[in-house]
Amino acid sequence: MIDYLYDGSFEGLLTCVYNHYYVDKAAGIFLPEEYQQSLMHGCMTVETDLRKAEKVADAIEKKISKSALRSAYTAWLSTADFKETAILNYIVLGFRKGPAVNSLRGEAAVFAVQSIIKKVSVEKERMLEFVRFAAVGTEGREVLYAEIEPDNDILELIGDHFAGRFSTESFIIRDSGRDKAIISAEGRWYITEFTPEAIPEFTKDEQDFRRLWKTYYDHIAIKERKNTSLRQKFIPSRYAKHLTELTSI
Amino acid sequence: MRKLQVLADSAKYDVSCSSSGSDRKGSGGLGNTHASGICHSWGADGRCISLLKVLFSNKCMYNCEYCINRRNNDFPRESFEPEELAELTIEFYRRNYIEGLFLSSAVEKSPDYTVERMLRCLEILRYQYNFGGYIHAKIIPGAAPELVHRIGLVADRVSVNIEMPSAKSLEVFAPQKKPKEIFTPMRQITNSLIERKALKGPGNMFRGVDLNTPSNMISTGNAPERLGSDDFGMMPALRADKKELFAPAGQTTQMIIGAGEETDKSILTTSENLYRTFKMKRVYYSAYVPVVDSPLLPSRGTLPPLRREHRIYQADWLLRFYGFNAGELFSDKDANLDPDLDPKVMWAIRNLEEFPVEVNTAPLDVLMRIPGIGSVSARRIVRQRRFSAVRYEDLKKMGVVLKRARYFLLCCGRYYGEKNFCPEKIRNSILQQEQGVQMSFFDGGTGGIKNDRLPL
Repeated sequence: MIDYLYDGSFEGLLTCVYNHYYVDKAAGIFLPEEYQQSLMHGCMTVETDLRKAEKVADAIEKKISKSALRSAYTAWLSTADFKETAILNYIVLGFRKGPAVNSLRGEAAVFAVQSIIKKVSVEKERMLEFVRFAAVGTEGREVLYAEIEPDNDILELIGDHFAGRFSTESFIIRDSGRDKAIISAEGRWYITEFTPEAIPEFTKDEQDFRRLWKTYYDHIAIKERKNTSLRQKFIPSRYAKHLTELTSI
Repeated sequence: MRKLQVLADSAKYDVSCSSSGSDRKGSGGLGNTHASGICHSWGADGRCISLLKVLFSNKCMYNCEYCINRRNNDFPRESFEPEELAELTIEFYRRNYIEGLFLSSAVEKSPDYTVERMLRCLEILRYQYNFGGYIHAKIIPGAAPELVHRIGLVADRVSVNIEMPSAKSLEVFAPQKKPKEIFTPMRQITNSLIERKALKGPGNMFRGVDLNTPSNMISTGNAPERLGSDDFGMMPALRADKKELFAPAGQTTQMIIGAGEETDKSILTTSENLYRTFKMKRVYYSAYVPVVDSPLLPSRGTLPPLRREHRIYQADWLLRFYGFNAGELFSDKDANLDPDLDPKVMWAIRNLEEFPVEVNTAPLDVLMRIPGIGSVSARRIVRQRRFSAVRYEDLKKMGVVLKRARYFLLCCGRYYGEKNFCPEKIRNSILQQEQGVQMSFFDGGTGGIKNDRLPL
């Protein structure tokens, strides 16, 4: 048994799974900066090998299922502690149980990964709700710009939604914690590194529409039914700072 | 700015907020719809904000007792211009503030005049802006069938509010609205959906049943009206074209809770009839907030009956998704739901002879009737037991709420509730555990419940 250290990429993680079968059984998989030397096992840094990673990905698709690979990948997008080891255990169980693995929610390894995925997909859904664009630039060259700060790395999961919806617009959604962004125009999108120096000013109407939206927001609540703790449940404070209606303009 | 304030204030007592049921992709223009709906924000009352919900106008010629916009109420009055509201919708939509527009209106001048103005705004949105987002339009009772039809062609969802759960209270509280004028457009909408083979019905109520057959068309037999649906099918301009979408997210309605004298039983029976007859997607319930002074109504300052509203919503879910009928939810003695415990628990306690149920063998519809097991957890149980037995420890991972469920189930032959299997005992222990936990939820009533999902 050995602890594997990987470079933080999904391919790196799959390379560790490869090593688990062909080199030495893995006790766990860690990022080097988060790893604490264990007394029980030695550790080894694994060099990412795309060929090995692809082999593992293929095997997961064929011997378990496409959705199992998707599950492993979605779980990897999360910031949960020890997600790598959870994914390893899930894949190992998957090779034993085959396509049925996702139905076995009673199994600890499946439950752990499904719980991680749940958090990722809840946050993804939230971002479909909470992205707030501002129109920036000059007339004729308007771009919609939004900033988000999700816990998990969900940027790529929301690209299709917004590109489909705003196919007639150009927009940028920046994950300000990770300094990367979706850039989209005419329904196509890609993700790139992005720092905010280049953000142009609001268009001249932007402030008016923000004000109108805030006014609407304040007036649509029924004061006899006021219940801010319920609102808090739906809008956790950490997301509120990027919501136009809950910040001062 | 002032207009928006006034017309949002006027619209906010309508509770429907859902943006679900329509799945339009690649419209070519701005926007699409998402089958499960998206809430974009939640107001200070914890109710979700999904659509820009405004009245087109609040200059009402009617004088319904319960309504903030009644003619006699001294209240600021405004109307939008069609172009202005269309632009506002687009600008809000581009910024991802909203999923679309929820447009209702007071009756200004006449039902037809009002609907024509609303229609103008919606047609600008759909045809000039190529807007592909969600539109929910209210139909004003008494509007011409041609206008109702054109609304259906541009809206995702249409609704006619019944407001009062019985003809009697409609007469008392809203004497200018006639039941016939409410049911005529409802019937027309259902028939148009059947013509397009697009009627889906509420929840799981009609799962596996083909609703889109001529026999489900609602005839005009019982109530005479200006234009029967038969005449209607003959008009070439209105003939069903299968490609042409008509209200793809179906039809809904709303009832006010706690203004009239109706019991929960009569409210839910009315709902069940609406579901069975018109096969509408949803009935919404709105706890009455006293906003006007009327000798017929609770006085101002009376708290809205949020807990009652919440229990009625739970019961409504049981009708649409859990295979219950309204009659089952009430004992012979009491025509109201128990305010302290949810209607499924109460039903189970009254029918203890059907329990406990073995989770490893019971069919899905029986699992769904166990308190603490919802449709998601019931399906997870069925999935897992195909491969391996479900153990008691697994139930929690499936999402089963054991503090309720354990009294009513067996797992691998074993019972996990208390020794005494008697109604009073079970009721008290569940009640004890739930008090406190439920309080925060009740403060906000059901308005906070997200879209079409209700945690049961």
